[in-house]
Amino acid sequence: MKEIITIISLPVFAGLLLFFLPEKFRTFKGILAIMVVAVSGYLTIVIYSSANHFCSLNELSSGQSGLNTGFGLIHDMGRYITFNCDNLSKLIVVSVSIFSFLILLYSLVYSKDGRVRNYYTYFLITLGCSYGAILSDNLLLFITFWGILGITLYKLIQSYDEESSATAKKTLILIGASDSIMIIGIAILWKITGSLSMGGISVHTSNILSVVAFLALLTGSFTKAGAFPMHTWVPDYAQYAPASSTAYLPASLDKLLGIYFLARITTGMFILNEWLTLLLLSLGVISIITAVLMALVQHNYKRLLGFHAVSQVGYMILGFGLGSMIGVAAGLFHMINNALYKSGLFLSAGSVEYRTKKQDIDDLGGLSKVMPLTFLATLIFAMSISGIPPFNGFASKWMIYQGIIDFGKGTMIANKLWVVWLGLAVLGSALTLASFVKLIGGIFLGRQRKEFEGLREVPFLMWLPMILLAACCIFLGVFATDYIVPKLFMPVSGAFQFQGLWNSSFVSLLVLISIILGILLYLAFSLKRFRTEDSFIGGEKIHDQTGYSTTEFYKTLGEFRMFSWFFRKAGEGSFDIYDQTKKYVLRLSHQLSEAHNGVLPAYIIWVFAGLIIMLLIMI
Amino acid sequence: MAINVFYFLVFPGLLFTAIAGAFLSWFDRKITARVQFRKGPPVFQPFYDFFKLLLVKETILPKYGSPVIFLLAPVFAVFGAVMAGVFILLPLLNITTGFRGDLIVIFYLLTIPSFSYIIGALASGNPLAAVGGSREMKLIMSYELTFLLVIAGIIMKCGQHFDLSSIIQVQQAGSPFIGSISGVLLFIVAIFCIQAKLALVPFDMPEAEAEITEGIFIEYSGAAYALIKLAKYIMFFILPAFLVALFMNGFRIEGTGILWAVLKIFAVVLIMTLIRNTNPRVKIKQAIRFFAIWMNLVAIVAIIIIAFGY
Repeated sequence: MKEIITIISLPVFAGLLLFFLPEKFRTFKGILAIMVVAVSGYLTIVIYSSANHFCSLNELSSGQSGLNTGFGLIHDMGRYITFNCDNLSKLIVVSVSIFSFLILLYSLVYSKDGRVRNYYTYFLITLGCSYGAILSDNLLLFITFWGILGITLYKLIQSYDEESSATAKKTLILIGASDSIMIIGIAILWKITGSLSMGGISVHTSNILSVVAFLALLTGSFTKAGAFPMHTWVPDYAQYAPASSTAYLPASLDKLLGIYFLARITTGMFILNEWLTLLLLSLGVISIITAVLMALVQHNYKRLLGFHAVSQVGYMILGFGLGSMIGVAAGLFHMINNALYKSGLFLSAGSVEYRTKKQDIDDLGGLSKVMPLTFLATLIFAMSISGIPPFNGFASKWMIYQGIIDFGKGTMIANKLWVVWLGLAVLGSALTLASFVKLIGGIFLGRQRKEFEGLREVPFLMWLPMILLAACCIFLGVFATDYIVPKLFMPVSGAFQFQGLWNSSFVSLLVLISIILGILLYLAFSLKRFRTEDSFIGGEKIHDQTGYSTTEFYKTLGEFRMFSWFFRKAGEGSFDIYDQTKKYVLRLSHQLSEAHNGVLPAYIIWVFAGLIIMLLIMI
Repeated sequence: MAINVFYFLVFPGLLFTAIAGAFLSWFDRKITARVQFRKGPPVFQPFYDFFKLLLVKETILPKYGSPVIFLLAPVFAVFGAVMAGVFILLPLLNITTGFRGDLIVIFYLLTIPSFSYIIGALASGNPLAAVGGSREMKLIMSYELTFLLVIAGIIMKCGQHFDLSSIIQVQQAGSPFIGSISGVLLFIVAIFCIQAKLALVPFDMPEAEAEITEGIFIEYSGAAYALIKLAKYIMFFILPAFLVALFMNGFRIEGTGILWAVLKIFAVVLIMTLIRNTNPRVKIKQAIRFFAIWMNLVAIVAIIIIAFGY
């Protein structure tokens, strides 16, 4: 299997090569990058169509003596470089290729202004390392690739002012800290099992050591995917990074990787006990609800989308927390769906920003006439994420819900609480709908502003990826029950029967029939009698200020004591693990700095006190 | 395939639900008139209303809005209502076919009309419509969880089955769910939920004629408004039918069973009409509190009672 080595090393080396080309040839670098992505994308399809296998470096490099001696320098290296190509990793690898290709296509135009230096370099290194992290079986190899991804994530955000550099720093610290926690988890795992192979480990979480190992690895997965309580970098990143970077990492690749690792640890490496299941499900619904509540009150549309990137992860965690076959399949399906519509939404956000240079919903309105394709794509993404049938978001949520209802048959505490999981998941979906009504209404619908009259649709290379992603959303939704789930997800999770009844493709046909009938009805009965008029608002004249901004929609919620408390605390950063930790670390360092008072006798006392303590310990 | 399209368009889909809903809407208006000591409209008044809008009236499009979305939103609303209606009525009328949907599907399809109204309202660019849209959305946010808890209670009552036909079978084999304490509590909650879903008084703030002049529908006229009327008629029939299926052991389509079926629907509609005629419109904040605290509390109490087997 030479392809594995190729798809990992080709993008990384191409990226390094591009690093040495001057920024002047940015378009050329972009074209080169897209060729690399296309080639590695093709190779991932080759891998997808090949049989499952497990391979180590020795098999991979056999026949290539140069490679062999190169690796032979480090003793016993072949033992650490092992790859696992099973249904799960094959599925994720192909998805990574698709998203990278589409987002890179978009970036060709979007990042023309060169806001991020060496964008393509970091893009390609990210791609290679993602392939590596997904395919590697050895945990040390995995964490190496995983760690590099944190650095490229940091480099893909541009630092132009204080806030964006603070965000970049926050991202790096949170990701870096979680990586180090993961290393502790891997060490404990090695201590328990004596093995570092992901495929070969199966640990019962019955003693404290294994639970700690699980939680440490879970921290890494949650930080990458952006789930509560490690999510706080995602909204900040979404707000300050360029939209294509956000669409690439937090919206699609980091979700794929984080959830991939969650799938590995919950379904293979660990056997969860009752309390860990309860913990996972609780964290899932907390992610859903808190993030979506925050999204409701945002004014910056990129930040709003960032909170949804957190909220949707909750559904996937629910799926994996259930642990049943349908739960795992639903979690994976939701992961792919989420990556589709969320990266699409960030791309549309980028398009809106590209044309209008505005980031606030309050400053926008009525763009649907001037940017019809962006609007169409965004509407489809918004309906998918809010779970409107027959789009893909509904299909995966429907699977998660039936997983929960089925889960309710069990006897454990987590099973008994199925109504809580179901109720909060459905409430989260209603709140998602609410915040997307605000987004769609505020940006695209409503009264068209005078200043936007001369705008044009974004260039072809920018709208094409959005339309393709939207088409994927429809496709995955329409063929969900007959084709997509049995063909793509059942090989990973194992075959199961749907408990519920939903005939996605036929209902979609009926949607089509209804829309055609509706158009015919309009044409037949009232084509001649259409007249356009300005709005009627009770006889008042419409002025520029007349209007009801969609950002004011949910202000009523803030009047309730519970919500106002929540929003105030969230504004202060009380739920932000980074801010809280920062507060305590700074306080501690402040206390330690008290000792540095510059008085010589005090220092001498410290030195002697230290010596005495050391002596006491040694004796 | 063809038979399913027939189910969708004719019976028990579009045509049937529209006609039944139109008659129910006449019933509602007649009762309202009697409560107010008026004579009330003739039986075919809803049909006159509909066809006048469709055939006679001109359609006015918003000048500064998005006309395409404005016109397509009512179509999607009708689709959602009819689709939910088909999935509710097929098991209710005991028609066995492979084309079915479970409770979650029905639950989500029933949200489509409200969602379409909001999108249509926002597309019109009218500030009053935006006020209405905002209220409708807040109303959805408040009753959605409550309605789900009702459905979850029913699912618990029949042993984690969540397709409508097995719920009806469980009731017909045993006793109707409304015959138990938990059933009565859930039924009360459900009535208020569908009152809010249909935007009837006391939860008609999205439309509030007197203050925001029909709110979400302010810009609609002609054929587009006819479609909205159609969606409203259909919803007016299928939601009571849904409650009959969930609580009152459905229909038996034979002999006197048909009479009973009609009477059950009329009973539910009568309750809704009486509530709407004897209550004032509440403010949106009061509605949120009503659902988020009181109705959820009742539903949770009912679910706890169910967990103990009553």
